[in-house]
Amino acid sequence: MTRLRRAVNNVDLQRFRFWFQLAAFALLVYGGYLAIDLGNSLPMFSCGYNQEGRAGVCYLLPLQHQLARPWPQLFGWAGIGVLTGFGLFLLWFIVLNKGWCGFMCPLGTLQDWLTGLRKRLGIRYSLYGEKSFNTLTWVKFVLLALMLLIPLAIGGGFLSHDWGAPFCQICPGRVVLPLFTGDPAQLTIDYSSVGTMVLTGLGMFIAGLFLAGAFIKKRFFCFFCPMSALHYLIAKPALLKLKKDGDKCTRCGNCFNVCDMEIRAIADDLERQDIMTDDCTLCLKCVAACPEPGALRVEFARINIFEATEEGFLKRMNKGAGRDGCKH
Amino acid sequence: MTAANTESQPFNRSRQAREAEVMLDHLVDDFSDNPAAMAYFYDLFRRVYIQGERLDQPDAPQVGMTCIQAPEELIRAFGATPVRLCNGAYHYDQVGADFMPAKSCSLVKATLGRLHDQDNGVPRVGKLDLIVNPSTCDQKKKAGVMMEEMGYPVHDLEFPNVKESEAARVYWQRSVRDFAVRLGKLTGKRLTRKRLNDAMALTRRAQAAFRAIHNLRRKGPSVVLGKDIFLVTNAYFFDDLARWTEAAEALVAELRAREAAGFNAAQKKAPRILFTGSPPIFPNLKLPLLIEEAGGVVVADETCSANRMLYDMPVVDEWLVDHMVDSLADHYLKPCTCPIFTRNDDRRRRLLDLVRDFDADGVVYQAFSGCQVYEMEQRSVAKTLNEAGIPMLYIETDYSPDDMGQLSTRIEAFLESIKTRKRQRAGGQA
Repeated sequence: MTRLRRAVNNVDLQRFRFWFQLAAFALLVYGGYLAIDLGNSLPMFSCGYNQEGRAGVCYLLPLQHQLARPWPQLFGWAGIGVLTGFGLFLLWFIVLNKGWCGFMCPLGTLQDWLTGLRKRLGIRYSLYGEKSFNTLTWVKFVLLALMLLIPLAIGGGFLSHDWGAPFCQICPGRVVLPLFTGDPAQLTIDYSSVGTMVLTGLGMFIAGLFLAGAFIKKRFFCFFCPMSALHYLIAKPALLKLKKDGDKCTRCGNCFNVCDMEIRAIADDLERQDIMTDDCTLCLKCVAACPEPGALRVEFARINIFEATEEGFLKRMNKGAGRDGCKH
Repeated sequence: MTAANTESQPFNRSRQAREAEVMLDHLVDDFSDNPAAMAYFYDLFRRVYIQGERLDQPDAPQVGMTCIQAPEELIRAFGATPVRLCNGAYHYDQVGADFMPAKSCSLVKATLGRLHDQDNGVPRVGKLDLIVNPSTCDQKKKAGVMMEEMGYPVHDLEFPNVKESEAARVYWQRSVRDFAVRLGKLTGKRLTRKRLNDAMALTRRAQAAFRAIHNLRRKGPSVVLGKDIFLVTNAYFFDDLARWTEAAEALVAELRAREAAGFNAAQKKAPRILFTGSPPIFPNLKLPLLIEEAGGVVVADETCSANRMLYDMPVVDEWLVDHMVDSLADHYLKPCTCPIFTRNDDRRRRLLDLVRDFDADGVVYQAFSGCQVYEMEQRSVAKTLNEAGIPMLYIETDYSPDDMGQLSTRIEAFLESIKTRKRQRAGGQA
């Protein structure tokens, strides 16, 4: 047991994540060809517009459709359907918490691949800075609110159905992911009405931003993701947890240094034990970068499954230096 | 023949060599169970400080550092050799008194005194092509100007006196990048990913060795005495890095064997002491020596001549030069617990953590007279430790050996009170 624990704590997280994400990507983007269907309440961007390849559907698509039902239906029996969908979503979510973002989400994985490309090109990423970060971090909550309110307004008869599934229309996943199964159908702007034109136009624009942003920021899009906001609101009962022991923290800032999401609290907050913040993707890079034994750790159902150790830190640093640093 | 040798008496007969010899003899001969692997370090100090031997001059520019905040990896990446100049000799303290006001820190005075003797200052590291002087405490800042007056080229490495804010972090990163530019001019070399990576790997290996020693001291029985570890980390100041690391690794291997054998280098119920405050630098190891001669054992420290210099390790996320330099900069700022910073929350937390992790029974706080920042932090540190129920002995001293008798009485009394406390506690529980 202790040997297994040691091996886990010494894991080359970068490599482990690469293969895990690759497998998840293949499953979610191409699993449909093998008739795999995980339902339509998945807590990440397994895009429903990837008609043939998808192995399940991102919960945001059915949610927006359901909420756009006429109010008498929505607040009547149909409400049960909405609640069941949400219940299923919750069950999926609870298992991995935001680990869905850091390990499963195809759009997240895609950004990590683009980051790899950026690194190869020798382009350095940039940071928002504390002030902009603190402002921009609210965008995802605003998007989440709009994503819920616009369909409700449609159901109430205040908006036309042209504004349906508004978030999907502007989500880069809709434009980009179907391309992986050779379907360029979403690469268009729908001129049939003002609503569809605005939304799909925005969608194209944001998809462009998504690709360009990946060369400027690590996980550029995740910072604005309403799914991430929704996750955070229901994260309390989740099984996978990122924990911090402030007493053991030297505030060396290594965790913040490697954080794809530029989260300062991971280094600076000494009080909070449940250290997963709204922007976190549970990629666990912070745990891997922490040289203080036990200062950061990952729990699953209160069982310690991965924690910061000196040995693990040194192993990963030496490996990283050999792998990425010595080629030139 | 060097200048010192042409004087009436050879160096090893000088007052200065005697000072080092007396201390080293105490450190070695007063204790019976010295690790065999310590022989390398004893010999090194004997050759350098007592024989006045010249260290082999590397075929590269030498960069003197007056503080642990200067990134040694960066200096090495440019092909230069870093040398730590902080000095512990009473002899140089007296020489340096000409430069500084009477009530200044012995360490700063001794460093100036050592530099004043341009050719033969001990350790004899040879010509310094640049001195990098981080703008930390007031005395070091002003000392930088005096070094310049002595004829040394000095680079003032601008260091913020707050470390929490983003502004401080960005300012310091720029400052480190400017230092890299200066090093480039000095060496005529370009900073590449490969060179920086190699330099960082060397330091990391040394840090790993230090951490291994550190970890071996966590729990009783004590496999090694603190006086030896201060010698090891002091050697890091001037020794060749690869050689130092090998010697430290040999010590680790021996200490591991000791641990496996249940060996105890200290007395059976020796009070376990955490050392903090002004840094012990050879030959001024009088406090660690007195503590361990009186039957205590220094199990850990929070000083910039040992733990603070070697414990924390930088991380690199993306191995691109710019990011690596910034990561290094972060590493030299963020975890630092130097008292020159505005707040000292991290220092107090670190002390509590060390007390817990190392099972320390008490803390000895050394403040060099004239080191205002350490003197001023005494109050808050004492309060924090007091609240946690940990006894602390505050000692204000300097490099002069005159107070050793009086200090030894105080230390004995402190250790005795700890033993009594422990006995009472054990009695209370029984």
